[in-house]
Amino acid sequence: MSCEDPDTTCEDVLAEVWLFLDNECDQSRREILRRHLDECGSCLEHYGIEEHLKELLHRKCGGEHAPEDLRDRLRTSIRDSVLRQADVTVEHGPEGKSVEVRTRPASAAE
Amino acid sequence: MSGTSGQRGTSAERPEEAARESQQAEETQAEETPEQRAARFERDAMPLLDQLYGAALRMTRNAADAEDLVQETYLKAYSAFKSFTQGTNLKAWLYRILTNTYINGYRKRQRQPQQQPTDEIADWQLAQAENHTSSGLRSAEVEALDRLPDTDVKHALQQLGEEFRMVVYLADVEGFAYKEISEIMGTPIGTVMSRLHRGRKQLRDMLTDVARDRGFLREKKQEVSTS
Repeated sequence: MSCEDPDTTCEDVLAEVWLFLDNECDQSRREILRRHLDECGSCLEHYGIEEHLKELLHRKCGGEHAPEDLRDRLRTSIRDSVLRQADVTVEHGPEGKSVEVRTRPASAAE
Repeated sequence: MSGTSGQRGTSAERPEEAARESQQAEETQAEETPEQRAARFERDAMPLLDQLYGAALRMTRNAADAEDLVQETYLKAYSAFKSFTQGTNLKAWLYRILTNTYINGYRKRQRQPQQQPTDEIADWQLAQAENHTSSGLRSAEVEALDRLPDTDVKHALQQLGEEFRMVVYLADVEGFAYKEISEIMGTPIGTVMSRLHRGRKQLRDMLTDVARDRGFLREKKQEVSTS
């Protein structure tokens, strides 16, 4: 396989193929590698394999869903902690109980 | 990915450090009531729960531990949320707390026995991996991997040693930049890169083996037809 850019060999490109794939090269290096990939069939095939595998991993190992009761439990804990930081006054009047929740200033709550 | 580099700042640092550094930010957020903070947490952090749970599953390798780990992470994050600087990278910050929670203690109580560290790979294994053109796969064969059930691919990822597993997960599944991974894991970028390199190679070899076992790839050594 003949490659146009004499400074960038197939070996270089293959060594940097993951940097290219992960978008971790600077712009000028990226352009050089891209030009090489456009012109070199075997490097392009190699890149295609790596790209496919990365995408496959993303597709097959991502997209988990947290259990709903975990989500509910967390929401409850967070709301409880807000209530704990508030002053709760319970008054016993003639018409029964009345509950007043007054929030303390944020600085005093810590 | 690289577009997020401008907004990293103190995002993924330890909550205690961030607390000290963001006093100024705290002052501007001081008028926030606990209710407002809780609402902000629910709005910004709760939508990331599925992703954090996914990462916790890959770390702990079982659902019960993953739930506990995520719960602890979220409650810690909520209690430190006052010191989180708005506008910085919340996702990386949460991942950092998750990773710290896991490493500093959680791992010790694990229900599953720890795998032995695989940071040291025998030289011959590395040399063998180098001889493959990356994975030893041709592009037509890679398409066969698409037919693998998700559980096979997840299982292969689980087989990687912890350091490799997390770096591959963060880079390939979550799409974090190397710099973000280095902040989340608390390791230099060079370490991130070498772990990613080794982890990917191991994973690719494993996936190739699984696909071959399942009959999705032709056995190279027995290509002679016997019929």
